[in-house]
Amino acid sequence: MQYGMVIDIDRCVGCHACVIACKAEWEVPAQYSRDWVHRLGPAITSTGMAYTYYPGLCNHCDSPPCVPACPAEKVNATFKDKKSGKTVTMEIAATWKDPFNGTVQVDRERCIGCGACRDACPYKARYVDEGLKDENSLGKVDKCTYCMPRVAEGLEPACVQTCLARARIFGDLDDPKSEVAQYVKKGAVGLTSKAVQIGPNGRYYGSKKGDMELLMQAAPQEMPKVSLRRSLLTQMSLTAKHQIKEIGLLGLAGALLVKSFQEEEEK
Amino acid sequence: MAMNLTRRTFLKAASIAAASVPLANVRAKAESGLVKAPLVAPGSFKNTQTVVGGVCEMCFWRCQLVGKIRDGRLLKLEGNPKSIDNGVSICARGNAGVKLLYDPDRLKYPLKNVGKRGAPKWQRISWEEALDTCASKLKAVIDQYGIKGISMFPHGSTSTYPMDFFEKTVGTPNISEASFAQCRGARDTGYLATIDYPPSEEYADMPNSKVILLIGSHFGENIHVSHTKQYLKGLENGAKLIVVDPRYSASAAKSHIWVQIRPGTDTAWLLAIMNYLIQNKKYNIEFVKEHGEGLGKMAEGIKQWTLEKAAQECDVPAAQIKEVADLLAANMPHVAIHTGRHSSWYGNDFQRARSMACLTGLLGAFGVKGGFVPPANPGGLGDYSWPKSGHHDKTLQELAGLYHFAPPGTPPDLLRETAITGKPYPIKGCIIWGQNPIQTIPNQEKTIKTLEQMDFVMCVDVMPTDITMFADILLPDCSYLERYDLIRTGTQWNLAEEHRQFIAPRMPLVAPGFERKDSVYITNELAKRMGYGDKIPIQTQEEGINKMLAGVQLSIEKIKAEDGIHIQPGKDPYGDMELTIEFYNEELEEHGYPGIPTYIPVEHPPEGYYRLLYGRSSVHTFNRTQNNAWLMAENNINPVWLNDKQAAKLGLKEGDTVALINQDNVKSRTTTTVKVTPGIRQDCVYIYHGFGSRNPELTVGHDRGIDDQSLITKLAVDPESGSYGMRNNFVKLVKVG
Repeated sequence: MQYGMVIDIDRCVGCHACVIACKAEWEVPAQYSRDWVHRLGPAITSTGMAYTYYPGLCNHCDSPPCVPACPAEKVNATFKDKKSGKTVTMEIAATWKDPFNGTVQVDRERCIGCGACRDACPYKARYVDEGLKDENSLGKVDKCTYCMPRVAEGLEPACVQTCLARARIFGDLDDPKSEVAQYVKKGAVGLTSKAVQIGPNGRYYGSKKGDMELLMQAAPQEMPKVSLRRSLLTQMSLTAKHQIKEIGLLGLAGALLVKSFQEEEEK
Repeated sequence: MAMNLTRRTFLKAASIAAASVPLANVRAKAESGLVKAPLVAPGSFKNTQTVVGGVCEMCFWRCQLVGKIRDGRLLKLEGNPKSIDNGVSICARGNAGVKLLYDPDRLKYPLKNVGKRGAPKWQRISWEEALDTCASKLKAVIDQYGIKGISMFPHGSTSTYPMDFFEKTVGTPNISEASFAQCRGARDTGYLATIDYPPSEEYADMPNSKVILLIGSHFGENIHVSHTKQYLKGLENGAKLIVVDPRYSASAAKSHIWVQIRPGTDTAWLLAIMNYLIQNKKYNIEFVKEHGEGLGKMAEGIKQWTLEKAAQECDVPAAQIKEVADLLAANMPHVAIHTGRHSSWYGNDFQRARSMACLTGLLGAFGVKGGFVPPANPGGLGDYSWPKSGHHDKTLQELAGLYHFAPPGTPPDLLRETAITGKPYPIKGCIIWGQNPIQTIPNQEKTIKTLEQMDFVMCVDVMPTDITMFADILLPDCSYLERYDLIRTGTQWNLAEEHRQFIAPRMPLVAPGFERKDSVYITNELAKRMGYGDKIPIQTQEEGINKMLAGVQLSIEKIKAEDGIHIQPGKDPYGDMELTIEFYNEELEEHGYPGIPTYIPVEHPPEGYYRLLYGRSSVHTFNRTQNNAWLMAENNINPVWLNDKQAAKLGLKEGDTVALINQDNVKSRTTTTVKVTPGIRQDCVYIYHGFGSRNPELTVGHDRGIDDQSLITKLAVDPESGSYGMRNNFVKLVKVG
């Protein structure tokens, strides 16, 4: 099973209700958002004038770059498939991809607020709520969960429920009979580009070529350059904490990092 | 791509990681998809109570709501699942009602202005003192100048009860509703003078139309839930969409034909279509024979309007006008010519509305599927009313012999002129209830002068606005989520489906906060103190609602038990409306107006200037939502749309900061950014209306974007209706910084 969301831009009228319903549902602070609506155009396309919308949210990608970017200590977690009762135990950091429903989730308790996952996402689908910083973190990351807690209660995602246009369709992309799968058959596509091919499970459908052109131009054109060095150093600082627990080495790591940034800046 | 993680942040994170408790001690209970409290909100469905009976007022459409409440606090609003109107959907503004309710800048207590009008210093006073002051000051005005010394600027359902009191029982004719002269007045009167039937934006049976014609209406930027559902259903069902707009609007983007018309020339375009249909006998001959009057006179009068002449006047291709006319003719009578709502555009608007009504008649599109169809709403509701006093003073327009087809009330310009000059009589008391005349009436200086010469000004509102700065006494109203209020009635939104009707009174979802009081309380207390205590028709709004519901054997209790909405079988709305279409109207001619629909040209912009057009943002209701933190997070500025060729000529780029200066040399107090696009004509610019609030008490909305109304200084009053044309001002863009 792979949950996905189709957005029918033929139907979308750009009212932003999805964004506000999400804010209310999950008490997202006013300055942050788990989803967004961008206006594209009016601009000239290959078929003439076009003006459409990019309603975006986490794509719960097949290969989510945010997941390996998380430097939090890994723990064993057991996942259970609701239908079959099957369980899977695997190591996860503070963000992971669910092996059964395909959604990408976050554990805010273990999140240290470093922002690495946010920076790794080419769709900019995550934010760090700095208002939640505490002695263990610089804040907490947040993003769309496909409203899994609502879905577990038999409810639609908040954005889907409020959408007056029925432009948002949620379901299992792996189920060929689902409405989302039907849309994919009809031509709904993810916002990918030459450089960004990470299997987004948010899909967009529009019958007008010009609208789709604008939308594809809005797709990220490059993967964020999350430097390996950064990731390495993050791991180092954590390893330092666990294995040696001596602040000295952390200082070393910090010094190394500062040096590497200086080098980066010099370039 | 730039990294958001700064070096300092990263180092801090690393050190925190080092200092934190061993993570091995943390056991993640990561069940499929679930994350843990308390760092994650539990969701509006967890441990909440669902309260029914809400009716939205973020705009006038009044979607039916439920509230999700936890520990006495409203967390979320949703469409009432029982609704056959909006259903479970609400728009962005509806969703953001929570933020209005708990806006920290809201009015909380009665306030007395101990500073100056326009530069207030507020002192909290008791309700007793506030009501005593208002009543004695208003009485003093009446004693000195007579009842006509009182004026009122009301808006919204909260103001209907006090408006009735001042209009009927006190008896002043000086009532100026924003929804008429600055909104739908010209449309209403233009249709009335043609079909003797009041129009409504609700009367377009779009789901069942074969062609939908929008003149200036921009669905997508203008959102009412069931209205937009109708529009989308029509498109889904294959209706052809024609959009007449100088700008490539949200609706133009979904259209089959976009008529990029020269602003102000819509009537010429309509006349050419009618002329073509008549000349080529492509109109609904049978319908016109039965229902039309004066077709011959109109045909003769408009025959000058050839496709070519209109093409030149409207700056659109003649072939496109013909294409539209043929499309309408081929699909008549199942054509929805949407009446629009805000119609006070150019000061020639009565004629445009009249032309639209005539065209609808030519196509026979009244009462038929896909046409102009009033829904069969439930009837039989009871009533109550303030009694009429013996005063029957003439309105100012009657005294002046102007605006013979004016809607009810007094056009605000006559009211201001009278107040400022004292002729024909002084106006010295002013009650402003839910309206913000600073940002609704053109020429703000004139409004301010009007207020400055008053002996007493009182305001009642939910939020501070630009007008509340001018109050002597400012009273805090209950919001729509805290009060009982008028009853919303309607039918299922797709008229072709099973006929059902609904009745939904507005009921509070939470108790009023702080010292807020509803308009029935405030009005009654004023009435008692002014000597009208014996005339009070209801003691509470609840009593009023029950009186109305009793007419249909319902009560608040019964409706609550029915989850906030009573639903009953409906009636077929289709069928002969028994109208007479007056293509020629003798009465108009008797008063010196053209008897047939007539195009009155508007002035072109002077060299170097652009016509200032304004419209709506999908997340705002004009100025009313300008302090809503959720909505402002979506849209907190009104960029000025500028044609890309003109931008190149002016050397302006996307995102540049500009001020606007109008033809009277009035400069915008604030700035905005430029949106460069091919999607607007070269002779005009466009911004969202309602931005640029001057009141610093609006901590979110203050000085955000440009107040378009401040630049509308030149008045163009519609001669028949007395409503304002607000798109006849011209601006220059001045780069800042």
